[in-house]
Amino acid sequence: MSIVALYFLLLKATVTSFAGMGSLPQIRQDLVVTHGVVTDEELSQAVVIGRSAPGPVGAYIVAVGYFAGGGAGALAAWLAMITPAVIAIPLVTLLRQWLHLARVRAAVDAVVIASAVLLLASVIRMAIDSVEQLSRVFGR
Amino acid sequence: MTTPSLRTLTWLVCRDVNRTLGGIASMELLRRTLTASGWLTEDGHAMLVAVSRVTPGTNILAYCVGLGWWLHGWRGALLLLAAASVPASFLIVILSATLVRIDQHPVVKVVIAVGMIVATLLVLSTAWHLLRPHVKGPNAIRTGVIAVMVIGLFFGGVTPVRILLAAAIVGMLMMTPSPPASSEVE
Repeated sequence: MSIVALYFLLLKATVTSFAGMGSLPQIRQDLVVTHGVVTDEELSQAVVIGRSAPGPVGAYIVAVGYFAGGGAGALAAWLAMITPAVIAIPLVTLLRQWLHLARVRAAVDAVVIASAVLLLASVIRMAIDSVEQLSRVFGR
Repeated sequence: MTTPSLRTLTWLVCRDVNRTLGGIASMELLRRTLTASGWLTEDGHAMLVAVSRVTPGTNILAYCVGLGWWLHGWRGALLLLAAASVPASFLIVILSATLVRIDQHPVVKVVIAVGMIVATLLVLSTAWHLLRPHVKGPNAIRTGVIAVMVIGLFFGGVTPVRILLAAAIVGMLMMTPSPPASSEVE
């Protein structure tokens, strides 16, 4: 697979997800099932490496890119990871211009509230993972 | 609100993003650092969190791009994006290349376990800081309605972006007298 094709496949996964690990199902479908450039074992290794290293959770796709295409694949994956973030620029610009409008302010407040509630929902999973990790460490 | 130099901001983002195991925890570290120095208000942080949640891809990267764009324009956005993503990506390439199973090493296992607990506590702290301004006074009912709706949709299997869009619509429909717009927002 060409590096350009790899970039667009990974971009498809990142641009249609809204959290670091949210791209995993699409990546597995495209790179493991459809094109066979990465094995399930390599994908699992990529996730483990991504979770073990500090930094953005979504950076695990750099490991996926490396397994799929070496150093150039890792570079393509890094580009696919950072490309969607640029969309934040027009969003910030628009919000700064419109935030004085009551309805826009109310919508932003509501999104913040919903984000916080979603965080609380996700922290349940994190807490369970933490306990399981501790249990494994101490062999219980 | 004052503005940090681009070099200082880049260093802080590089430090705070690349020493945690999750984007949300990184946001909380950045919030603490930047608000303590008077470089970002709680409202500004909340807006960046909202933007990061509705931007596709990795949330912390969108947060850093938004922060950089806000304080230093294009140069800030690009530098903070690089500061947040390059060190971790470089480390991941090294780990991938050597195929080191560091998660099997006992010491690393302990470090990861402690890191996950810290990250969990940081996420809780983040959620509370976001919710706190909205749980008092006339906004409390609206917050409760949105929270119940979000929980229902979340456990109903609805994707986060659809939940956030639904919350935005409900928020506009249930508009209450809002506090004065934050001073740092033009």
